[in-house]
Amino acid sequence: MSGGKTQVLPEEAQRVATVGRWRVVVLNDPVNLMSYVVLVFRKVLGFDELTARRKMLEVHEQGRSVVWMGLREKAEAYAFTLQQWHLSAVVEADEAY
Amino acid sequence: MKRIEVKLAVPVVAPLLDVIRALGETPSVAAPGVIVPPDADPDLQGAWLGELVAAEATEVRALLALFDEVFFREGIVAFDAENAEMILRACAVLRLRLRESYLRAWGDDALESGDLQAGPFELGGQKAMACFLFLATVQELILQHLGDNILAN
Repeated sequence: MSGGKTQVLPEEAQRVATVGRWRVVVLNDPVNLMSYVVLVFRKVLGFDELTARRKMLEVHEQGRSVVWMGLREKAEAYAFTLQQWHLSAVVEADEAY
Repeated sequence: MKRIEVKLAVPVVAPLLDVIRALGETPSVAAPGVIVPPDADPDLQGAWLGELVAAEATEVRALLALFDEVFFREGIVAFDAENAEMILRACAVLRLRLRESYLRAWGDDALESGDLQAGPFELGGQKAMACFLFLATVQELILQHLGDNILAN
């Protein structure tokens, strides 16, 4: 252990953690109503009706859908809000970025 | 303010309130299913889960508050722009808890399709299933009549 100093991430790793692209993914569940999920997508993510329906069907049929991409802090905020609406939302790093 | 009143059969709904109250007192099942970013700061993880659990409790209390003296006297509950969002979310979390506590035996496909008639009926299962469907009906009513208000708020 090094003499009690705070470990500083290498500059590049720090940049990726904060600036790199992150995905908010909504996972399917067998409980929430389709119409409910559409409303939540519109309310939380600002989707129009068609986009919200398309994303909801993606979740329903493929088990997951990426609903937002961007900075980690904002991705976490979206995931948290979706979880407040009781959807299964996770944050993933976009490895391709 | 837009408001809808729904007349319910008290003898049918009252027993379901016992299920809802019991579910409201059980520890959150949403939290273990919640995936906080694994490398997140421990303080953030604690705050994340704590806020979700506290919000769930508030939502369930708001739903139970609908079933007051007026409901037991006249069978009427009212939804408006003030309570719609909270009730909608309460129904969602309670349905998730019902699945965890009582409805696993039905299987996800049956729950998702709503084809629940042929499922296994164990102790408490029928009441839990009735509650699951009742809460879905409440959600559908709110979405149909107050969805625009929720989006506008």
